[in-house]
Amino acid sequence: MSLLVGDSDTITAIATGPGAGGVGIIRLSGPKAFSVAQAVTGVTAKARQAHYVQIHDRHGDVLDQGLLLQFPGPHSFTGEDVAELHCHGGPVLLRTVLRECIHLGARQAAPGEFSQRAFLNNKIDLVQAEAIADLISSSTEAAARSASRSLSGAFSTQVDALLEQLIRLRVFIEAAIDFPEEEIDFIAESDVLERLESIEASIDSLLAGARRGRTLRDGLKLVIAGAPNAGKSSLLNQLAEQDSAIVTDIPGTTRDVLREYVQIDGLPLHIVDTAGLRDSADAIEQEGIRRARTEMQSADHILLVIDSSQINNTKDSTTLIAAYKGDLPPAVPITLIRNKCDLSETPAFIDRDKDVTEISLSARSGDGIALLRQHLLSAAGMSDSDSSDFSARERHVLALEDCAHHLRQGLFQLKQHGAAELIAEDLRYAQDSLGSITGSFSSDELLGEIFSSFCIGK
Amino acid sequence: MDHPTHFDVIVIGGGHAGTEAALAAARMGCATLLLTHSVDTLGQMSCNPAIGGIGKSHLVREIDALGGAMAKATDQAGIQFRVLNSRKGPAVRATRAQADRVLYRNAIRSIIEAQSGLQVFQQAVDDLIIENGAVQGVVTQTGLRFRAPRVILTTGTFLGGQMHIGLTKSAGGRAGDPPSNTLAARLRELPLRVERLKTGTPPRLDARSIDLASLETQWGDEPRPVMSFLGDPDQHPDQRCCWVAYTNQHTHDIIREGLDRSPLYTGVIEGEGPRYCPSIEDKIQRFADKTSHQVFVEPEGLTTNELYPNGISTSLPFDVQMALVRSIQGFENAHITRPGYAIEYDFFDPRDLRSSLETRAIGGLYFAGQINGTTGYEEAAAQGLLAGINAALAIREEAPWCPRRDEAYLGVLVDDLITLGTKEPYRMFTSRAEHRLLLREDNADLRLTEQGRKLGLVDDERWAQFSEKRELIEQEQKRLLRSFVHPGSPAANSLNAKLSKPLSREYSYAELLKRPELEYADISALDSLGISNPQAALQVSIQAKYAGYIDRQQDEIDRVRRYEGLTLPSDMDYLQVSGLSNEVRDKLIAQQPETLGRASRIPGVTPAAISLLLVHMKRRQGKSAKTLDSQVPEAPKVQQQIH
Ligand SMILES: Cc1cc2nc3c(=O)[nH]c(=O)nc-3n(C[C@H](O)[C@H](O)[C@H](O)COP(=O)(O)OP(=O)(O)OC[C@H]3O[C@@H](n4cnc5c(N)ncnc54)[C@H](O)[C@@H]3O)c2cc1C
Ligand SMILES: Nc1nc2c(ncn2[C@@H]2O[C@H](COP(=O)(O)OP(=O)(O)OP(=O)(O)O)[C@@H](O)[C@H]2O)c(=O)[nH]1
Ligand SMILES: [Mg+2]
Repeated sequence: MSLLVGDSDTITAIATGPGAGGVGIIRLSGPKAFSVAQAVTGVTAKARQAHYVQIHDRHGDVLDQGLLLQFPGPHSFTGEDVAELHCHGGPVLLRTVLRECIHLGARQAAPGEFSQRAFLNNKIDLVQAEAIADLISSSTEAAARSASRSLSGAFSTQVDALLEQLIRLRVFIEAAIDFPEEEIDFIAESDVLERLESIEASIDSLLAGARRGRTLRDGLKLVIAGAPNAGKSSLLNQLAEQDSAIVTDIPGTTRDVLREYVQIDGLPLHIVDTAGLRDSADAIEQEGIRRARTEMQSADHILLVIDSSQINNTKDSTTLIAAYKGDLPPAVPITLIRNKCDLSETPAFIDRDKDVTEISLSARSGDGIALLRQHLLSAAGMSDSDSSDFSARERHVLALEDCAHHLRQGLFQLKQHGAAELIAEDLRYAQDSLGSITGSFSSDELLGEIFSSFCIGK
Repeated sequence: MDHPTHFDVIVIGGGHAGTEAALAAARMGCATLLLTHSVDTLGQMSCNPAIGGIGKSHLVREIDALGGAMAKATDQAGIQFRVLNSRKGPAVRATRAQADRVLYRNAIRSIIEAQSGLQVFQQAVDDLIIENGAVQGVVTQTGLRFRAPRVILTTGTFLGGQMHIGLTKSAGGRAGDPPSNTLAARLRELPLRVERLKTGTPPRLDARSIDLASLETQWGDEPRPVMSFLGDPDQHPDQRCCWVAYTNQHTHDIIREGLDRSPLYTGVIEGEGPRYCPSIEDKIQRFADKTSHQVFVEPEGLTTNELYPNGISTSLPFDVQMALVRSIQGFENAHITRPGYAIEYDFFDPRDLRSSLETRAIGGLYFAGQINGTTGYEEAAAQGLLAGINAALAIREEAPWCPRRDEAYLGVLVDDLITLGTKEPYRMFTSRAEHRLLLREDNADLRLTEQGRKLGLVDDERWAQFSEKRELIEQEQKRLLRSFVHPGSPAANSLNAKLSKPLSREYSYAELLKRPELEYADISALDSLGISNPQAALQVSIQAKYAGYIDRQQDEIDRVRRYEGLTLPSDMDYLQVSGLSNEVRDKLIAQQPETLGRASRIPGVTPAAISLLLVHMKRRQGKSAKTLDSQVPEAPKVQQQIH
């Protein structure tokens, strides 16, 4: 409920700039900094000495080799205990290590938070305070923008539905606690167990969908789809920088699924070229289209390619996308590619302000491909303009996982003790975890829900 | 004429807020004057004859721990005691008592009369003496002037009180009492935001005209709970039962037909009513598919035939009231002794108050009770107590005090009021308290008695009893940590019968007590060393059962404690705080939160904005201050942990 930023928790972030290569540093600051560092390295480090360590995940698998340095407070950058992990792997690996640190109880630092702590502990001087203030205000705006960009409307719809379920359940349980003299046995009426289980199931399916995007280490699956002849195969060739796919001017050239693996600035991409979507009588093509649809279902991101020379270019993305509504899975983010901009005589551009980002480019000349590359990086949360360490999507996965954890605990409580006030507690925590995605929900709003749902009071 | 006596504190209004305020100020050594319409209505319950209930009893226990009167009076006046939520966990259990109106009034009056340093004077106050932006005293209806540097206003529903029965209006503070219109008009001239609220009450019935034998009865609990930590069931007067009746379709038809003469549904009443305490006409309109509603029939006292039909509050015209009452089974021949009515009254936006309940605009002037937009005797009494304490602290030239949200429901109440304001009469619920598991009815004494003692509110008797109990708890918790059960021992075998899996290793008593299957009695039966004080034993048990959850809440509290109480100076220039969005800046300027914690709870104020404020505060203080910590002294932690 409280928004207040605490300073007794441990924060962590990637301290080096984005982009692949070189050494990447993960910094931890706060009371648990040393214990988290010890947990991921297995090494108890001495103060201000570099230790050569292996960094491993919670299952014991080695992620990387690197150095561990510890600076006990108050003689550290922030004035608190600070640990630094110097890793060799690229940005994707850094993110994986960061996730491990968060799993072990650190919290992702808010923008400017290390400097803020340093400042509050008299570690940096007043002149820098202005810069910190700027950083805090500018980066929160950037984060808000990137959140709306990298999430499909469908994801928010699902999160909203989940929240709705959670609130319904809380309404019953809180009503049972605050209004025991009513005729309704709220707990019995509400099938708490069933509801809890159903919420757990929806959160699991939501997580399954959202998690696909977070296994950056394994790479993102990018599916190119669209009408025949739109230039999908040409686009694959451009991104792969080689002629992998056959390109002809005959619609229906690609009939099978074609896969390519590329890296953009260290971001691994599995690109899948698919058969053009249309009603076809040809059995082979039909099968190709069926496969195209299957691939789209498991995509992390879809490039929907449209031949801009064939359409009225004033048409907006919503109308254009609507034509493919049945084929596009609801939870997967989409980028609309207006291809063949050389033919339609429009410049290459990127428009992020629409519901769906649009890029105008030419898969033949390569004009605008750089914009697409940059966009793919930022959609994965890895561009320079995105100052947060995690993409909005990853942060949401963390929030959902937290929520799921509290729900499981609530379920356990219910089965063990049937104690209403303890389930209520877990559900409140569960909803608070969702708060970072959905905005906070006050106790007065909850009471409002209760009073509009039941006839209560004397 | 100027009254010759010099007072430190003047309290206006002898309701629940006013009596606690006057008692607290006097107990803290201030020369205190309580001015009220009538000495005979001191401690009068305007509405239902009951004290306590969910969330409310928590407040009553806190008042009690701070030496207040409400719990003691309830133990002397209660004619039925019950524990609500008894099948749920201790954090949400709540004691509720039906109270005999006359006995309750008498109890309050005798506590007041026994209080040294407290004078009562019967007279309506018509005006405040304000000099240089600070209050200096009051003027009564007859022109008598009383001077004091601290004035607490607790006039309840009386300011501009307007009562409605059907489309008939009359001026009044509650049935039978005049409104305070002159004072209301004067207050409206002050730079304070005023609005209207509404509440209502049911008609009262003559028990002799009711077929009580045909109604379900409801008796109190045995063993009988008490309200005060010092209470004893032996103090209770004779106990009585309540009854339950039900409205039916016919009742609802009668109500619907009368709606065209309802002040609520014809737009005559503008004030907002409480959502949780709707009139019967509201209930059938908003929940049209419900065919019946409960009516709890409560005795008004031992020496009266009047009954209070809880659940049919109404402002319909009297003929409709009669018809609807008589349509209820058992009420066919009911005689109404007093009609139900709705009342609209002025209240002041509590966001114009400090956490001491002093108004921001007028120095020395405090508001407490229904005047701040709350409803309920308990909510009023709690505020009164706090205002009395802070007026007395000001006289002593000491810093004001208000418990934090994690220390008391009183803290939640005040924090909600002054940071969020209210659009309807505010009532306490446990769901408003995010630290619900810590803020229990059973541990209000452990949370607050020590503070009360420091303030000078807790007398020697209470202090001695409390200290002994606290000592017992600590000793017993230590013993439970040191005592072990070994698998295979006779003790283990006796426990195994109750456990799902037999004990496989050595366990401390403390660990065993955490198990849901075991009670404190099971553990103390292992040897004869357990404690017999039931209150202390209960604490040991509850603290063990909730240990995991309590630790988590404590962590949450500790996490934000350092900055929660950081004072934002009243001369803070929010235009100088760089990076704030205009929306947030406007909100902060409008509300001038006292602390960083309160700022963070204003809707729309983001964590980033809080960070910016922190950085700004640090810059303001410059290098002079080593660290930026809450200036408020850290209150001792409630001893909860049992590790
Ligand atoms: C019709 C009605 C229905 C209610 N229904 C409910 C309900 O359903 N549930 C619930 O919880 N609460 C209800 N209440 C509210 C409950 O009665 C109050 O919340 C509680 O009494 C408020 O306490 P208080 O001390 O603020 O004011 P009050 O108890 O109203 O006391 C005010 C005191 O101030 C005195 N006073 C007023 N003006 C002056 C003056 N100018 N000079 C001197 N003395 C003055 C009065 O005589 C009175 O003694 C109802 C109240 C009314 C009137
Ligand atoms: N002028 C121009 N032609 C393009 C562009 N992109 C693709 N083409 C041409 O459009 C035709 C179709 O290209 P493909 O890449 O095979 O199209 P596809 O979407 O894979 O087609 P199917 O496999 O049949 O579904 C080829 O003749 C390409 O050379 C472009 O940006 N500009
Ligand atoms: Mg192709």
